[in-house]
Amino acid sequence: MNLVNNRFWFFFISLLVISPGIVFLIIAPGLKPGIDFTGGSSMTLLFPETVQISQQDLRDELTFLDFSESTVQNMGDNSFFIRTKELNEEEKDNLINNLTIKLAPNTTPDYVLLQGFDLVSPVVAQETILNAFWAVLAAAIGIFFYIWWAFRNVPSPFRYGLAAIIALIHDVIIVIGIFAILGETMDIEVNTMFLIALLTVIGYSVNDTIVIFDKIRENVLLYANRPFTEIVNLSISETIGRSINTSFTLLITLLALILFGGTTIREFLIVLLIGVIAGTYSSIGIASQVLVTWEQRHIPIPFRKK
Amino acid sequence: MRRNFRALILIAILVILSATALGVQKISVNGFERGGDTLLGLSLGLDLQGGSHLVYQASLKDPETGSPVSVSVDQMESLVKTIERRINSSGLGEPIIQILGNDRLLIQLPGITDSGRAKSLIGETARLEFKHRVTKVDPVLIDTITAQDIISVKADDWRADGKLVSELNPADINENTQSIVTFPGIIVEFSDSGSNTFEKLTLALEDSLTAAIEYSQKGDLRPPDVLNVNIEGDEVLRFSIAGGRIEQIENSNRFMILLPTNSGDVTNSILTSSEANQKIGATPQLSFELLKGYTDEYIGLSGDDLESAYPSQHQTSGAPIVNIEFDDRGTKLFGELTTAIYSQKQVTGQEDQIAIILDGEELISPVVQAPITMGTAIIQGADFTIERVKDLSLLLESGRLPVPINLIQERDVDAILGADSLKKSVTAGIIGLSLVLLFMTLYYRVPGLVAAISLIIYALMVLTLFKMIPITLTLSGIAAAILSIGMAVDANILIFERMKDELRVGRTTLSAINIGFSRAWPAIRDGNVSTLITCAILYWFADQLGASIVQGFAMTLAIGVLMSMFSAVVISRTLLRVLVSTPLSRNVRFFLPYSGEKTTKNQSSDN
Repeated sequence: MNLVNNRFWFFFISLLVISPGIVFLIIAPGLKPGIDFTGGSSMTLLFPETVQISQQDLRDELTFLDFSESTVQNMGDNSFFIRTKELNEEEKDNLINNLTIKLAPNTTPDYVLLQGFDLVSPVVAQETILNAFWAVLAAAIGIFFYIWWAFRNVPSPFRYGLAAIIALIHDVIIVIGIFAILGETMDIEVNTMFLIALLTVIGYSVNDTIVIFDKIRENVLLYANRPFTEIVNLSISETIGRSINTSFTLLITLLALILFGGTTIREFLIVLLIGVIAGTYSSIGIASQVLVTWEQRHIPIPFRKK
Repeated sequence: MRRNFRALILIAILVILSATALGVQKISVNGFERGGDTLLGLSLGLDLQGGSHLVYQASLKDPETGSPVSVSVDQMESLVKTIERRINSSGLGEPIIQILGNDRLLIQLPGITDSGRAKSLIGETARLEFKHRVTKVDPVLIDTITAQDIISVKADDWRADGKLVSELNPADINENTQSIVTFPGIIVEFSDSGSNTFEKLTLALEDSLTAAIEYSQKGDLRPPDVLNVNIEGDEVLRFSIAGGRIEQIENSNRFMILLPTNSGDVTNSILTSSEANQKIGATPQLSFELLKGYTDEYIGLSGDDLESAYPSQHQTSGAPIVNIEFDDRGTKLFGELTTAIYSQKQVTGQEDQIAIILDGEELISPVVQAPITMGTAIIQGADFTIERVKDLSLLLESGRLPVPINLIQERDVDAILGADSLKKSVTAGIIGLSLVLLFMTLYYRVPGLVAAISLIIYALMVLTLFKMIPITLTLSGIAAAILSIGMAVDANILIFERMKDELRVGRTTLSAINIGFSRAWPAIRDGNVSTLITCAILYWFADQLGASIVQGFAMTLAIGVLMSMFSAVVISRTLLRVLVSTPLSRNVRFFLPYSGEKTTKNQSSDN
């Protein structure tokens, strides 16, 4: 199995996966920012089982109540996530009462259960965006320098650091792209939890890349006179079993959590799920291939005679 | 072998300690307290047990310039204490209050269902002031209405349907309107600005009257503000009116000031409009004076000077009372105030009061029975009940917030949803972990089983650490713990893959184990260090934001990663080494998951 000479295909597949996400990111509004980034209020309301309500009913009612800027998401089991402008205590109570009177008329407000309420002021939202930016940047720089240092015994350790960062950016773009699509099609918003998940994906992606790089590091020193392409190829095939097994165990647990865990952090887990798949793929298909391409300074095109 | 044995003993001790720590719900040794009624005694985050997460911003402004002033550490700490006491005494449960950065407060209220009550208790800008209520005030000339503002002054009769009698159209007079009563009054036309000023004055007088009526219904006599009207025309016409005696003529700058209908006016007679017009003449000079019913004078005594306030009962009568104690500055100011009020009462008979105002609203306005110079006083009231004195004490204490604060972030989770999330996550975690252990054992055989055992020990120890440190377990923390299980699995897989490589080239099981571990170590180390870097950055990020959920996640992941290294490198290795010393190790097939025959072939050819 010569994975390295087929690296065009890896880059091509990545491009194929990334492109739709990029398109959605560019088409406004791209990612749907949640209140953590914009400020405002959000609440999760659980309506009694006896009441039949659709997402559209709630939307219409909110527009009628002069909350036309609101978004509504159906969480299943008659539970709805509603996002509005910043509400104070009184406005919150009024809104819940009005919705109850209109949509669940024969119940009392106590039966429409407020499962969760969030409020974020614009000041905090502004800081979150800034801090998120710095956090991602700091994580990338920290990891880059660590890898550079950890691979100081092999030729051009700098490349390993940069290749890992490229793979990491690749994974982040895939996750963000998919969430831009989900935001557009299913009104899924990104919030602080999304950021945490993204940083976790960064951690995992690098962790996975390092395992292959470690093998390359070992083999470069072991077989100093073999061509670099061959060494990378050998290292990938030696570690691929571990890569697949590790992602497999992680995917099992993540799937168990998605299927049997509550809905509260489902989006968070979906980010991890996509991230683990992307991270495993990018270690083999991007990070290692970037190293080879850099060494050889060209990308082989398939079907072209050499 | 002895080394293995010692390591095995160490592991056994760790397992027993962990199991005990987790098994005992509540641990309490020499003031070291951990655990509680929760699952395994772990401390649960708000998303798992429900509750409120509130972030407040303290903002201090210079009273003169209005520019922001930085808040001192002392002020922040006293803020924490005040809020803590207020919530504790309310029975809402124990708050967790933390200072974030320089001027923010994180208040966590686990398990509470009524965040609205908590928020009103925390009080957004509650400030307490003690003022000298002067009950007899001199009238003050209203100089915002000048001679230029007054265009015309004459007397007329005002009909109760809002029309002036002198300006009635024939259509306004019919059978039905004959019976409408009319009142004599002075009609004044103002300039635009004068009209505005006078309208505000009118409204203020009405408010004062409404308040006075409300107080009188509670048995508290408090005179309303009155307006003195002073007209110097051909003769002097003076009278006083309270709110509700001024009517604005619709869509105009004209106001009808009704003449007093009783002897309450200065001239001591009831005038008709024509009599009034005679006095006004052709060139009247009109001026107004405001006579306030009372004024509250600032004396510089505020909630900051109050040491404490608490409810109790009167020593002799047993009636509920409020006790207040001042600090040194407060004692001095309060002493001066009570002495002044008391001696004035002795000399002139005028009985002033102490107005206690919280956040612009009057709490209570007691009279002074004696000068109080010792800094402790009691407040009695005829209508005081046990609840009322308790509430009053709380409110007085609450006035001591040294810095105004406002809510900038809130996160409420319903307790039922929290419990549901916890139950589901635990179920999902158990299912996931079992599947992983099953996969490990099936795929990696004996080492897989060993890894499975070391993973269970790992899980035990991680949970113990969570309980003992303690780390608040949140939903994302559970996810982090599961991710770290993944990392622990990964470390084991890395080692086993290396071991397999070594076994395939024909090494003995023991040396394969040893070499496998040392070969896998750099990858485990580098991979985990990069995860730890991410954790450190997440932790910092969360610290900036006060996002305790994020912080919990970072801590959980970091501990998980560190323990996963320990589990793979110490526990798995020791268990495997011990296993190798048993007859099991002779069958290499137990250690190689697949293609056992191929390995034997390799082995023979290598030999």
